[in-house]
Amino acid sequence: MSAAHAPPFSVRRRRLQPATVVFGLAVVVLVFLIAAPVARLLVASFQATGTGGFTLHNYAVAWGRERNVAAVGNSLLYALEVTILSAVFAVPIAWGISRTNMPCKGLIRALIIGAFITPSYLGAVGWILLGGPNAGWLNKVWMALTGSSEGFMNIYSFGGLVLVTALYAFPYIFVFTSAALDLVSSEMEEAASILGAGWWRTIRRITLPLVLPAIIGGAIIVFLDTVALFGTPAIIALPSRIPVMTLVLWQFFETPIRAEAAAAYAIPLIVITLAMFSMQRLVLGRKGYVALTGKGGTRTLTPLGRYRWLVLGYALFVVGLAVILPYAALAQAAFSRAWGLGMSWANFTLENFAAVLLEATSRDTILRTFGYSAAAACAAVVLALVIAYIVTRRMVRDRGLLTLLCMAPLVIPGIVLGVAFYATYAPPPIALYGTAAILIIGYTTRFLPVAYVNAAAGVRSLNPEMEDAVRILGGGRLRALAQVVVPLLKTNLVGSWLLVFIPAARELSTALFLVSGQTRVISVMMLDLSENGSFETLAALGFVLLAATIAIVLLGYKLVGRDFMLRRS
Amino acid sequence: MQITRRGVTSGMLALGAGAIAAPAARAADDQAKLYEAAKKEGKVTWYSGYLNQPICEAVAKAFTAKYPGISVAATKTTSQVAFQRLMQDLNAGSVQADVFSSTDAAHMTDLIAKDKLVKYTPPNAAGLVPSIRDFNGGGYYRAGWVGLVTLFYNSKQVSAADSPKDWPDLTDPKWKNKIAFGSPNYSGLVGVWTVGMAEKYGWGFFEKLNKLNPLIGRSIDDAVAVLNSGERSVGICSAATALRSAAKGNPLVVNYPTSFSLADLSPAAIIKGSPSPNAAKLLIDFMAGPEYSKILTDNYEQSLRSDVPPPKGAKSLADLTLFQPTLENIEKELPGLRSKWRDLFNG
Repeated sequence: MSAAHAPPFSVRRRRLQPATVVFGLAVVVLVFLIAAPVARLLVASFQATGTGGFTLHNYAVAWGRERNVAAVGNSLLYALEVTILSAVFAVPIAWGISRTNMPCKGLIRALIIGAFITPSYLGAVGWILLGGPNAGWLNKVWMALTGSSEGFMNIYSFGGLVLVTALYAFPYIFVFTSAALDLVSSEMEEAASILGAGWWRTIRRITLPLVLPAIIGGAIIVFLDTVALFGTPAIIALPSRIPVMTLVLWQFFETPIRAEAAAAYAIPLIVITLAMFSMQRLVLGRKGYVALTGKGGTRTLTPLGRYRWLVLGYALFVVGLAVILPYAALAQAAFSRAWGLGMSWANFTLENFAAVLLEATSRDTILRTFGYSAAAACAAVVLALVIAYIVTRRMVRDRGLLTLLCMAPLVIPGIVLGVAFYATYAPPPIALYGTAAILIIGYTTRFLPVAYVNAAAGVRSLNPEMEDAVRILGGGRLRALAQVVVPLLKTNLVGSWLLVFIPAARELSTALFLVSGQTRVISVMMLDLSENGSFETLAALGFVLLAATIAIVLLGYKLVGRDFMLRRS
Repeated sequence: MQITRRGVTSGMLALGAGAIAAPAARAADDQAKLYEAAKKEGKVTWYSGYLNQPICEAVAKAFTAKYPGISVAATKTTSQVAFQRLMQDLNAGSVQADVFSSTDAAHMTDLIAKDKLVKYTPPNAAGLVPSIRDFNGGGYYRAGWVGLVTLFYNSKQVSAADSPKDWPDLTDPKWKNKIAFGSPNYSGLVGVWTVGMAEKYGWGFFEKLNKLNPLIGRSIDDAVAVLNSGERSVGICSAATALRSAAKGNPLVVNYPTSFSLADLSPAAIIKGSPSPNAAKLLIDFMAGPEYSKILTDNYEQSLRSDVPPPKGAKSLADLTLFQPTLENIEKELPGLRSKWRDLFNG
């Protein structure tokens, strides 16, 4: 796609190097992928519906109502609480897996990333089954145990909304933090310990500060993703009567459709992205976070003794909330002929799984979705790494603009972005109507920010002297990138890949605009199933996705191979 | 009017040769010509806002079986998305969809005003249930789907005797914390229901409902999941979704309200300047025919024709008291009602 838009670099031929071409190309692709649709949104937000003339009316419609402004306030508070809770879930487990001798690491990691694929609709219904005030299992158990007439939790509340969202968002922070912890050499920790610092002080003063950029990066992604989230709020916030921004936004698409007002409501959200970055700069300041110097850094695992069971217990608690409990509740539907009847042998069936796995159309849809998501993940990881390298190594001016471009797609809610993608890519001259390419491009763009933030955190942790060494020895920038940066950031890149692959596989709002009958994806199929009343099949599909993801994760980490820094004892 | 010899002769001939057979033969001839023209186009594209993708595929398959050589590319999204895509195609000057169908008739009003629809009365329309046949926007569209809004309950928690029989029964205080329904701000079908209820019972009906703390989801179908989960026990549904779920054995029972079921006739139309205008006509005709209604009833949807019986356990349109707010009324009232809904239910 980008070949046709080759950059006019011939004017600068005198210093044309392979690296310049690649970096230039990456910037051009970025403009094509992101700047074009975002610019289109910006223009639309000033256009009158129907006539297309210039107007400020859309902003008045979008922001003139107190309710709409209040919804943005709710969304920000919601996103903040989800971010904090996600960090509380993610960071201790990431530390446990990366730096201690906690048992069952592979399984916990696979389950956490497995939780991530849970479609928000399914996760939310699972939690309604668990925490519904009238019939929730946990509440029933509580009432049976305590003799109380009321349950102890109501999932239809602000707290319930935050909990359910965080349970399926914390894997972002987990993957970011693990990737960073894997790169921190134990030497510094050992030095601290030699100087008399206890383990807690070492974590607080050495380990945590070194991985702070990664934690903050993950937190920013969770925050932006939550602001733009529609699925969980539609199932939980709406019945709880909590208006959030995405719920208001969808109403602009009811007749009379005011897509322009929707653009006017969404565009200012980019400011939130800017605010996040100012905050990041404020926290990280000009401190150095170089963890990897290439001087034989190794990592030893902290032996926790009896406490390793405590860490495992915490990990199981979180995984239990995210996967084990809700899937146990969903099993009632997945293995039933009729889930409303409850569990019994007479009601047991495997037909729902047969419907998902054996029917050609649904099997094709699953394989197709994985194919599209994998393609998008590869594209996003490559692009993100190149751009992150350009920005982190200060190879261009306007780095701020480049970063903002990379980050903008995440905070703009999918339904608005879908409109812009469709308008940009579907009609001539690009004419990608109904093709697989339009979905892959859409996914790549939407989730580029995730890959970008992770790659930027990774590159920042590398000492540039290692790349300089390549160049001193006569290698080019590309060689440094391919033979030093990529191998060092191996696990980081696998993490990025998964963090694009999984959200892409479950993305609905953008996909709705871009699919055709022949390119249908899982999320759209799930919407059909839910509107069809086929919750049994929907739940079975959830199990299949969970199992497939766990398999992909286990295989993926096996392929990446042994952790090169880990010192074997 | 001049009476010519030829005119008289052909009139006599027509009378003599069977006044009924001749127009039918002509119609069949027209259809054959239409099919020939459509075959050259080879493909018809359908943007659908109703049914679901598998049902749309079944329609496509049956259509191709009847008209070999013409494939149907059906894409089901939501009505809002389908309409938005259509408008963007039209604005880009690149029409993709030959046939567009939506649960929101206001989309058609908009398209007629912009002169984007083709007038066409398909021969099969004669066999439609009268209320369906007469819903045609002056010839610009046909009903391709009927959304039927009814009451339903979870039979594990509520007995038949105790269940709500008519709309006002829902406001009985015994249903406090037990009711579930969707929102007119996210669902076209709930929107039509809201207009209908406000018209028949006034806004007070919703104020009474609100005192009972109903659980309000997005789509009308969310209530089906909520009732199956046992979290709530009575609600308002799209009859077809509840019947499909009940057919699997789920403890859901549809009560057709005694005073009236709320009908939402959902139109399909041909887009002007589309790539396959003839195949589009054939598809619109097919949607008025018996094969299409049979596919609908196989999936627990309402039959549009009197010669196709309703699915097991469901009532036919002819046996139901239906009420549909007029399109004018929906367009006039719904925006205001949505706003009042937001203020009352905060959602």
